[in-house]
Amino acid sequence: MSYIIVDGISKTFKVTKRNSGLKSALKSFFKREYVLIDAVKNISFEIEKGEIVGYIGPNGAGKSTTIKMLSGILLPTAGNIKVNGMNPFADRRKYVSNIGVVFGQRSQLAWDIPAEDTFDLLKDIYKLSDEKYEKNKSELVNLLDIGEIIKKPVRSLSLGQRMRCEIAASLLHDPKILFLDEPTIGLDAKSKKIVRDFILKINKERKVTVILTTHDMMDIDKLAKRIILIGKGQILYDGSLEKLKTKYGSYKKITINTKENISDIKLKGIISKEKIDNGYSFVIDSNIITISKFINYLSNRYSINDMDIDNEGIDDVILKLYQDYEI
Amino acid sequence: MFFESIKMNIKSQLEYKSSFIINSISQFFIFFTFYFMIIALFQKFNNIRGFTVYEVLLCFSIIQFGFAFTETFFRGIDRFEDLIIDGRLDRYLVRPRGILFQTLCSEIDLVKIFRIIQALIIMVIALIKLDITWNILKVMVLIFMMIASILIFFGLFVLTASYCFITVQGLEVKNLLTDGGKNLAQYPISIYRKGVVFVFTFIIPYGFINYYPLLYFLGKTNNILYLFSPFMVLLFLIPCLLSFKIGLKHYNSVGS
Repeated sequence: MSYIIVDGISKTFKVTKRNSGLKSALKSFFKREYVLIDAVKNISFEIEKGEIVGYIGPNGAGKSTTIKMLSGILLPTAGNIKVNGMNPFADRRKYVSNIGVVFGQRSQLAWDIPAEDTFDLLKDIYKLSDEKYEKNKSELVNLLDIGEIIKKPVRSLSLGQRMRCEIAASLLHDPKILFLDEPTIGLDAKSKKIVRDFILKINKERKVTVILTTHDMMDIDKLAKRIILIGKGQILYDGSLEKLKTKYGSYKKITINTKENISDIKLKGIISKEKIDNGYSFVIDSNIITISKFINYLSNRYSINDMDIDNEGIDDVILKLYQDYEI
Repeated sequence: MFFESIKMNIKSQLEYKSSFIINSISQFFIFFTFYFMIIALFQKFNNIRGFTVYEVLLCFSIIQFGFAFTETFFRGIDRFEDLIIDGRLDRYLVRPRGILFQTLCSEIDLVKIFRIIQALIIMVIALIKLDITWNILKVMVLIFMMIASILIFFGLFVLTASYCFITVQGLEVKNLLTDGGKNLAQYPISIYRKGVVFVFTFIIPYGFINYYPLLYFLGKTNNILYLFSPFMVLLFLIPCLLSFKIGLKHYNSVGS
């Protein structure tokens, strides 16, 4: 049996409809009108112990809602979740001592005092023994290189420093599952690297199962072997990143610098054409049309000043997925 | 854990020292005006429906004590909508402790501690002036009243916190229940009309925690049942806590 089993969950939000103005404000106090919004519709997947899964999708697709249901914050409107035999919402208190959650945009550290004080509080909250706490703390402090940082008031830290403290705070109790909701949002390159290396390390050494949502495709590229793509509350793709790459990896991006007007090209294998500042940008599928054939075709008809050939990054692959599924 | 949280809270508030001192002083003095008002009132009238100035002050200070205590130590529940809006509730939900307990620990309004002290000072003055014939039962009823006074505001805070799960708008209801009720209950409720007395006895049991035990305490009745009337507050707590539990199931969280 899988470690995490998500079976047909849905979440419907009741949102109060209200127009602006005093009159409607008064009206809404007495009689509310609701709109039902399906944030997540009938989602199912399973995750094995020790996996790193990237949970991706555009804004408003239902990522955070799913994470919140998985971490016991929200009760699904329908469907079942079983994690290690427990129901996150019903067995909340027992369940959450085995999970760590990092909300990238929400701090769990007290703002005005050093992070270390929050750590001490967490020790009490999770009822950790002195030895376990000290051992875990020093390990995390070393790995994340925050020895000095945790002694300063949190408000004086940079975003990257704070995020490292956040992650340490979420792992003090040695959880088996780690949920990361946009862990690298707004971080500089160095902090991103520290965070990513760290996630890989705890996954390998502590066998922590990691589920992360992100908009940064480099995160996915570096961390996740498997991705689940969600859009409009439904799962669109669930599988290996490699497979996705080979499917879309034959795509090449070719930028042509020309003053001429290129009309429609009647060749197979051209995925997209876009007019840019001083030329055009094409995406072609090199399995259908070779690059040389494509360039030959163009150079025979138009005068080309300059050109550039690029492999499509994972970013574009995902964008294309979004397009394919029209989300 | 509670003390660890309090320690942290105090540390945070002391980060801004001068603001803390000024607030404390103003808290302490502003609320004396309330007491002066009562005293001024009694300059005109000798008694209100048979209650003397110190009897009213005692009644007043017990309610003030409960309210100030709740506002100081249970501030997190008082400001529950903030917890929902800024997402801290999500954080509490992923920790292996009770939500109400964590909320209790979340915030302490240290400044308001001066209002507790103030209420206690007034209480002591009233008690001295009242010339009570003390016995163990009188001590008990006074302690019951003080505890019940804390619990009733706790219950009300929890009730309004539950309301936050439905909507974070329209919190005027809360002020009606707590502030309005508090202002009424500061005086012996027998001075009000029947309908008001009914609501503040059987719906929100201010009467049971304040008026009836006060009658016993002041020797206006010998009915021993009045001594135990503050326990009615426990009945009141049941629906409050239950509604919180139901509210939690309907929690929608906010987008990130």
